[in-house]
Amino acid sequence: MEQLTPIGLNHYLTISAFLLGFGLFAVMTRKNAIVVLMGVELILNAANINFLAFSKYNGGMAGVMFVLFIIVIAAAEAAIALAIVINIFKIFKSVDVSSIDTLKE
Amino acid sequence: MHSLIQLSIVVLLLPLLSFVILIFFNRRLPRRGDFVGVGILGTAFGISAYIFWQVIVQSYDPAFRVAWDFTWINLGNVPGVGPLQIRMGVVIDNLTSIMLAMVTLISLLVHLYSTGYMAGDKNYGRYFAFLGIFTFSMLGIVLSDNLFSIYIFWELVGLSSYLLIGFFFEKESAADAQKKAFLANRVGDIGMWLGILILYSQFHTFSFAEIYAKLAAGEFGLSNAWLTAAGILLFMGCVGKSAQFPLHIWLPDAMEGPTPVSALIHAATMVAAGVYFVARIFVLLTPDALHVIAFIGASTAFMAATIAITQNDIKRVLAYSTVSQLGYMVLGLGVGAYSAALFHLVTHAFFKACLFLGSGAIIHAMHHEQDMRWMGGLRKNMPWTFATFTLATLALAGLPLTSGFLSKDAILAGAIGFAQVEGGGIYYLIPVLGFFSAMLTAFYMGRQIWLVFFGESRTHLKPAETHHAAHHAHDSHDSHTDLHHAEHQVHEVSWNMRAPLVILAALSVFFVYSPDPLDGGKGWFMKMIPTPATVVGQANPQKGSLIAAATATQLAGAVPEAVVGHAAAGELPNAASSHGQATSAHTYSDLRQAEIVHAGHAAHYTAIYISSVMVLLGIGLALVVYVFNIIDPEKTALAIRPLYLFSLNKWYWDEIYQATFIKGSMVLATTLSWFDTHIVDGMVNGVATLVRKFAFFNDSFDRHVVDGAVNFTAFTVNTIGAMLRKLQTGKVQTYIVMLILAVFGYFVFYFTRLIY
Repeated sequence: MEQLTPIGLNHYLTISAFLLGFGLFAVMTRKNAIVVLMGVELILNAANINFLAFSKYNGGMAGVMFVLFIIVIAAAEAAIALAIVINIFKIFKSVDVSSIDTLKE
Repeated sequence: MHSLIQLSIVVLLLPLLSFVILIFFNRRLPRRGDFVGVGILGTAFGISAYIFWQVIVQSYDPAFRVAWDFTWINLGNVPGVGPLQIRMGVVIDNLTSIMLAMVTLISLLVHLYSTGYMAGDKNYGRYFAFLGIFTFSMLGIVLSDNLFSIYIFWELVGLSSYLLIGFFFEKESAADAQKKAFLANRVGDIGMWLGILILYSQFHTFSFAEIYAKLAAGEFGLSNAWLTAAGILLFMGCVGKSAQFPLHIWLPDAMEGPTPVSALIHAATMVAAGVYFVARIFVLLTPDALHVIAFIGASTAFMAATIAITQNDIKRVLAYSTVSQLGYMVLGLGVGAYSAALFHLVTHAFFKACLFLGSGAIIHAMHHEQDMRWMGGLRKNMPWTFATFTLATLALAGLPLTSGFLSKDAILAGAIGFAQVEGGGIYYLIPVLGFFSAMLTAFYMGRQIWLVFFGESRTHLKPAETHHAAHHAHDSHDSHTDLHHAEHQVHEVSWNMRAPLVILAALSVFFVYSPDPLDGGKGWFMKMIPTPATVVGQANPQKGSLIAAATATQLAGAVPEAVVGHAAAGELPNAASSHGQATSAHTYSDLRQAEIVHAGHAAHYTAIYISSVMVLLGIGLALVVYVFNIIDPEKTALAIRPLYLFSLNKWYWDEIYQATFIKGSMVLATTLSWFDTHIVDGMVNGVATLVRKFAFFNDSFDRHVVDGAVNFTAFTVNTIGAMLRKLQTGKVQTYIVMLILAVFGYFVFYFTRLIY
């Protein structure tokens, strides 16, 4: 039986890239603001994975500390973003981002 | 300032005051203000008479002269001319004081006469105003001490003459006559002005006294030909104003004016102004200029006399007689008989004014009939007019015991003397023409007297159907005058028209001027107005005689001797004295002048004999033709029909001018008009068209290129904006897509750079 390829840095980066891709895809294509927020979370987590992977292969705890902060900040950001979404809903009676284009006027 | 100067300025300004009052207020004054005119002129005459008394009677000095002047305009230093000052001044000498008295007297009499003659005219007040401004201008000429002010008053006289000739301006003939007079005078005046400019260019002064002093000192920088030219040009002013030969045509037509005006202006004063002016400039006239003047005067005298014998209009006969007598005066000045010419000026002024006023009385009494053919028999109805008219006629004809005899014979004696001194030949033409004219004068005046006063009334003979065509009623301010009115009893005129006639007739008798009825030289006039010594001859003695010698030798080489002598005598005053020096009562440094004066004195009795014979011949001929009917005038006229027509049509001068100058002017005007419409207008229109075309081009350039550029810029910006607006969707997702595309693009760019 052929030995499984040991999991290395490339695998982490690949997963991270996929996550980023999915996140971007969600952000760019979804119409629901909540889903867009979820995409943003995905992107953040893709970054977190990158940090952790590089931290592990580079030694030291700098990456881990970054990730901890990012998780906290992401939580805060999610809270703020959800508040914004609620306000948008109150004003536009919708959370469909494609219909919210008053910025261009 | 001398008190006489002050008085003379008062005399000058009084008629102007009369003019100002009457022109503005005549409608508010009772009697239209005629008493203002008469009163002011009476005052002016009183003062003038006082001046005359002071100058002539009290001082009795031939050299009397007071002068005063002031700077009128100071133009400072004019570039190219030098210091330019125009001075005005008054000079009073014997001539001035006589002229002052004469002008104011005749003007006063004419004012008085006009109160009768013009009564009832609708412009009665304005008439007196015009008389006032005329008198003012005439006195200005008389008193002027320089060429500039004399020129100003000269033009003012022309203006007032224009106004008065055209007084009945509603009549077309009067309006035409006034234009003709004005234009003919302008022709003369332009020459006069050129003459003044020649003198000014040399002497930088207008004053007579200064010019003569400088001329005598030899300061004339140009050749003598220029001095001759200046003299002849100045004389042109006289030719215009005194109606001499080429420009005489206006005076007969000027009879369209009211008859008293004809007496004042066109017989006594204004036309005499020309002669007066020539007398003022007499001393600067060169012998050549004097010859021109003498010949023009002689031909005028003769021509006008021949015309006068066939005219039928009573005023026209007198008008041509005036031209003829003015010709005598000019002739007199030309031949150097200065005193005689001015003497004739004064005597003529009185008797011709009397004749004109008398003819006015006749016209007035005949209800504006002026054609002598339909008069006759007035002797019984108008005894006063008849007596004064006859006396003045005798003076004009030059019968002994009258003033005209004294002055005319003095002129003719001067002419004989002149011809003798100048060496005979063609110069004898001047006295011959003079004597012949004297005979014609006697003839046509005899004819006039006979036709008007003697025989039976011929009023009824006037063809009724030609009444309006042949109507010469020049004075018909009463234009509805009808033929039948003439049937009314012709009666003597009222006292205010009679008195001037009597005064003027009294002034036509010899004893007013001279104690000797045969010799004017013994009278006060000739003594008071001596011939002034010329300043030309001795101007440049050396230069003059050098030129004289040179000319003489040149001529001697080229032409026979007789002509040499002739030329030397004629042109060169100094050379002329070589044959016999004259001894004269007066002493003249110029020998030619001295000789002429002497010869004139010597010829005095010759002149008397010849002219008396001529006058008797003329009167005798008139008697033979019109009184005794020995010769029938109608048949004679038929027998010499070409000559008769030549005279009746005034030598065809009007036709000649019509064919030459007027046609010429018309052709010139037509040419210029064509030039104007086609060339000048063409140029202007061409330029306009060009500008218009250019403007249209500019317009399309503006619209297509400039506006195009602006619009294109706007369009481009608009298009790009529209394109860019599509990117600006307002959706965050779109921006993210673009962000990512940009990042991706950058990566592609970066890595491509890396690879190559």
